[in-house]
Amino acid sequence: MATLDGFRDKDFLEQITVLNEIAGSRDPELLPALIDLFETPTGDTGVDYMVVGALNAVLGSSEQAVVGGLTSASLPLRTLCIRTAGEYAFASAAAPLAHMAKTDADPDLLIEILASLAKIRPAGAESVFRSFLTHEDSMLAAMAMEMAGVYKDPLALPALMDALRAASQGDHVERCDLTTWKAIDALAAIASPASIAFLVEHVHHKNPTVRRIITDALVRLGEAALPYIEPVYAAGTTDDRILACNIAGFIGARKGADALVRAFDSRLFTDSNVRYAAFEALGRIGTLKGLVCLVDGLEESDELILMAVVTGLERHAAPGVLKTISERIAAGTPNSPRICRAIIASRALRLFQELYKDDLVGDHLIDALRLSQDQEILDAFSQRLMEIGSARARADAATLPRAKAATRKALAVDDSKSMLALYRRILTDLGFETLLASNGQEAYAYVESGEFADVVITDMNMPVMDGIELVGKLRGSLGYDDTPIIMVTTESENSQRDVASKIGVTAFVTKPFKPEELKAALAQLLGD
Amino acid sequence: MDVELAKPFVKAAMDVIGTMAFITPRPGKPFVKKNTIATGDVTGLVGLTGDGKKGSVSISFQKGCAVAMVKNMLGDDIQDILQDVKDAVGEITNMISGQARAGLAEKGLVLQGSTPTVIMGDNHSITHIAKSPIMAIPFETDAGNFTIEFCFE
Repeated sequence: MATLDGFRDKDFLEQITVLNEIAGSRDPELLPALIDLFETPTGDTGVDYMVVGALNAVLGSSEQAVVGGLTSASLPLRTLCIRTAGEYAFASAAAPLAHMAKTDADPDLLIEILASLAKIRPAGAESVFRSFLTHEDSMLAAMAMEMAGVYKDPLALPALMDALRAASQGDHVERCDLTTWKAIDALAAIASPASIAFLVEHVHHKNPTVRRIITDALVRLGEAALPYIEPVYAAGTTDDRILACNIAGFIGARKGADALVRAFDSRLFTDSNVRYAAFEALGRIGTLKGLVCLVDGLEESDELILMAVVTGLERHAAPGVLKTISERIAAGTPNSPRICRAIIASRALRLFQELYKDDLVGDHLIDALRLSQDQEILDAFSQRLMEIGSARARADAATLPRAKAATRKALAVDDSKSMLALYRRILTDLGFETLLASNGQEAYAYVESGEFADVVITDMNMPVMDGIELVGKLRGSLGYDDTPIIMVTTESENSQRDVASKIGVTAFVTKPFKPEELKAALAQLLGD
Repeated sequence: MDVELAKPFVKAAMDVIGTMAFITPRPGKPFVKKNTIATGDVTGLVGLTGDGKKGSVSISFQKGCAVAMVKNMLGDDIQDILQDVKDAVGEITNMISGQARAGLAEKGLVLQGSTPTVIMGDNHSITHIAKSPIMAIPFETDAGNFTIEFCFE
C-alpha cells in the first residue's frame, strides 16, 4: 500500500514511484496528505506535476471531496476541483457550480466553471449559460453560445440573432468576431424554423468569413435547410441566388436538384453568374432531371457557364449524355468549338476519352487542345492520349505544343553580382522563377523561411558561408534531400570536388562557361 | 469545445511573456480568420495531438515586439539579433505550450506538443492544417502587437 509518510525526504525515483501507485490505486485515505503536498509544493517541477496528476486521480474516486473542494479557500485547489468535477461529470457538483456561475466574477474562473458544467450537462442548466450570452468577455459569451446550441435552447434565439445582426453593422464588418462564429453555429444547432430562416436571410453577409461560416452551417444542416433555400431563387438578390445555388449543390440532395430544375423551368435564373452557379450545383448533385437540365446547358454561349456544364456532365458521363454532346460538337454550329474548348479547359478527361472515339469529334477536340497555353492541361491530355494508345492518339499527342510558364523555382548563390545576373537570365530563359543570394547564409535563409527551389546553383568559395557548408545544410533540410545542386567551380578548385561530391553536390560546371553549357547541364539534371 | 482549449494558451502567453520578457500584453477581441497569413513577422508554431484530436497553435509577433522581448530577456548581450529573436520566440512558444498543456492535463486532457518551429519573414504565411475556422486572439504591447492563432479539431 502506497503511503505518503516522509514523502519529502524520499529521493526523486521513490517519490514518482509512490505517486504513480497512488494515481493507480486512487486511495481516498491519502487525500489529506496529497492536498498538503499540492498546497505546499516540493519545488521539483516534475514531482509537483505528478502530485497534481495523482490528486486528480484520487479526487476522481471521491465525488464528495470534489464537491467539498469547490468552496475551498485555496484558489488552486478550488480550480482543480472545478476541473475534476467536469472531467468525471459529477452530478452533485452541478448545483454548486451553477451557484458559483452566478456569484463569481473572475472571468478566468468563470470559464473553468462553465466548462465544467458543460461537461456535466445537467438538465435545466441552459438558463445558467443563457445568462452569459452577452457577457463582455468574448470567450465566456462564446462558450455560452456553444452550450445554447447543445441544449437547443429556444430562449437563447433573440441574443444569438442580435449577435449576428450586430456583426453586420459599422466597424464589425471588417472582422468576424469569435462570438459571431459561435452564434451562427448555435443557430444552426438549434435548427428551428426561425433560426434556419434567419441564417438563410443573412447568407450574403458583407464579411466574407461570416458568409462562409453561414454557408458551411447551412450545408451541415443538409436537407433541413432546403425548404428555406428554395424561396431565395425567386426572391433573393443575384448574390443571394448564387450562394443559395452553391449551398444546394454542397448539400447534394435530390430535393435540392429538383428545386434548381424547377427554378430553371420557371426562368428564374436570367443572370449568367446565377446560371453558372446553378449548373455547377446540378453537376454536383447529379440526378436524372439535373442531367437533362445540364444537357440543355450545352446551348449556353458563355464559355464559363459551358465549363460548369461540362464539369457536371464529366462527373456523370452516361451513354445518352455522351451521344448528345457528340452530336452537338459534330453539328458544326457556332457553339461546337465552344463546347470543345470547355471540355479542354475544364480538363474533362473522361468525356474526352469517350468523345475521341468518333473521328470527326476527336479532330475538333484536338484542334481546341492545340490552342491551350496551359502546360498542365496539355500534359494531362497528352498522357490520356498515350493511355488510349491507338496509332491515331499517339500521332495526335505528338503534335501538341508546349506552353511556357514559370512554374519552377531556382536558387542561385554567388558573391559576384554579374554572375548572379547571368544566372538570372539563363534561368528565366528556361522558365524558372529565380531566387538570388550572395552567400550561403542568405541562400539558407530562403530555405529556412520555407522557400523551395527545384534546383540550386552555387559557387564554391563565398564569404560568410561557403558553398560546401551550404550544400551540407541543404541536404539536412526537409525537402532538399534529392534536389539537384550544381556547383560552379574554377579549374583551381577542382581538387575539392571530391569533398563537394561526398557532401551532396549533384553536378559540377567549370567557370568560365557558355550559357548553353549550363543550360545543357540543367536540362540533363531535370530531365527536360 | 475550442474556447475551453484556447483559453489556457491565452493565459499562458500572458504569463510567460510577462514573466520572461517583462512585457504586459493587453488582449483584444478574439476573431475568426479565413486565410492562413500570419499577421506578424516572426512566428512560433506548435503542433498538438491527443485525445483523438489534432491542431496547431501559433504566436506571430511584429518585429518590434519580438526585438523588445529579446532585449528584455538578454539585456545588452545580443550577438546576432536574428538568431536571438529566433531562439527567444522558439523558447517562449515552447514555454507557453508547456504551461497551457499542464493546465489542460488537470482536466484529464493530455495533449502532446511538437517542438516549436520558428518562421521568420515579413508578412510570411503559415498554414494551419484545419477545415474549421481559425481562432485569432490579438494582443497589444507598447513595443508592437502579436497574435495567437488557434485551431483544433
